[in-house]
Amino acid sequence: MIQSVGRAARILKALGSESARLGVTELAERLGLAKATVYGLLRTLEAHQLVEQDLETGKYRLGPALLQLGNAFLDNNELRARSLLWAETLAGRAQEAVHVGVLYGANVLLVHHVFRPDNSLQILQVGASIPWHACALGKATVAYLEPEAQADLLAAPLPRLTGRTLTSREVLEAELEAVVEAGVAVEDQEAIVGEAGIAAALFDNRGAVVGAIGLAGPVERLLPDGPAAETVSAVKEAARGLSRELGAGRPAVPRAGA
Amino acid sequence: MRAGAAVAVPWAGSLPGTRREAVGIVDAACVRLWLTEVAARLEAERDFLTQLDAAIGDADHGVNMHRGFTAVMARIGAAEEASAGQLLKIAGRTFVSTVGGAAGPLYGTAFLQAGETLGDADRFGPRLLLDALRASLEGVQRIGAASPGDKTMVDALTPALSAYELELRMGGSLETAVSGAREAAAEGMRDTIPLQARKGRASYLGPRSVGHQDPGATSTALMFAALAHAVLADRSQRFAGGARRPVSGP
Repeated sequence: MIQSVGRAARILKALGSESARLGVTELAERLGLAKATVYGLLRTLEAHQLVEQDLETGKYRLGPALLQLGNAFLDNNELRARSLLWAETLAGRAQEAVHVGVLYGANVLLVHHVFRPDNSLQILQVGASIPWHACALGKATVAYLEPEAQADLLAAPLPRLTGRTLTSREVLEAELEAVVEAGVAVEDQEAIVGEAGIAAALFDNRGAVVGAIGLAGPVERLLPDGPAAETVSAVKEAARGLSRELGAGRPAVPRAGA
Repeated sequence: MRAGAAVAVPWAGSLPGTRREAVGIVDAACVRLWLTEVAARLEAERDFLTQLDAAIGDADHGVNMHRGFTAVMARIGAAEEASAGQLLKIAGRTFVSTVGGAAGPLYGTAFLQAGETLGDADRFGPRLLLDALRASLEGVQRIGAASPGDKTMVDALTPALSAYELELRMGGSLETAVSGAREAAAEGMRDTIPLQARKGRASYLGPRSVGHQDPGATSTALMFAALAHAVLADRSQRFAGGARRPVSGP
């Protein structure tokens, strides 16, 4: 491990963990480093536009180069790139927001988000990280993991996010079996009160699960009386189409208006 | 708390001293005054709440709360003979049916539970109001599973209840209890700023939720400010012998 690179990474993380800016002294205190060391690191990071200094206060914040790197990360994510068209199609068909997520550790990272097509004010959730057991995307993905990986996740802490979060290992095991049985995962206010999700897993050319695509929205619309059959088949079709494009089974392209 | 991140709100200040001779009784008129006051404040603060929610949520809290209370006012306006408990139950049912997002089920349950606790009492004292507030908190926690420190409405509701209870235990009146609750709720609201969210959409942001005031705690503080205002306005109008009218404006 190269110490200075590690320190620079810690500076970036410290600046990224707060919405406000930090001065050299504050950073030095937090990281337990000498002010001169922190200053040198900041100057180097600034030269690469990874941080920038506020001219009025002299404090530092994250720089514009990080946005490009973040976008590059998302663009290099093959799943995201390939999901654009299918996600758009699904959002149009279901008239709800669409999320595409991949599993990172015990969380689902949202790599793509299509707004509900109703012109309402919505906030982009790309980059959000949701505990797998509390969302449809996570349950859809984990249901198809190798038994060992699945057991590890079930053995890890399962935090309660709402009164409806499934936090018992046995209940979740049964839930994952039900997901495989139905080919779709449903979440009823298990991550956020008032919010629901319906998602299906995505597979690559080896048949391994790589993530999930699904709908997210107000529970009264998504699960008026449980999930509507039409909505479920729209999610499954999008997942199947996208999986084929990722190489699972034969190749296919989304049909216009499908 | 960092300078610049703090959010000042108009209802976080303190009201003038209470009248010692006032009798601590709440009735349907007082509850109606409270709900009217909440509606007026939500109207005034709608964009502010939405702005707070845009930073760490999905930018719909102000709109949702305002829509919900507009519907509540229409329905309680039509229920002229309703008791205090019935008014709160109407508010709760209206919230659940008209408000989306987390606010509908959470505030809806809070009002419903409070209404259930009050039952058919025509007039009641600060003790029963405490029981009603406790039932609200329990309902909110049953649905949302939030604890103090999770950066949610519970962070305003819990200290407000503690302050209210403490005030009564120290021999205070309804008036001093609601004033204490109002101040504690505002303090709890401000104290959400440095917290990292552990519940709700804001928790998806992880450490990026730090430095923002929680919109749910803010609307809860608004409700306690409205409650104190309504109780005190109700008292002064009663003593002035005048007709009791809703008080508008923050």
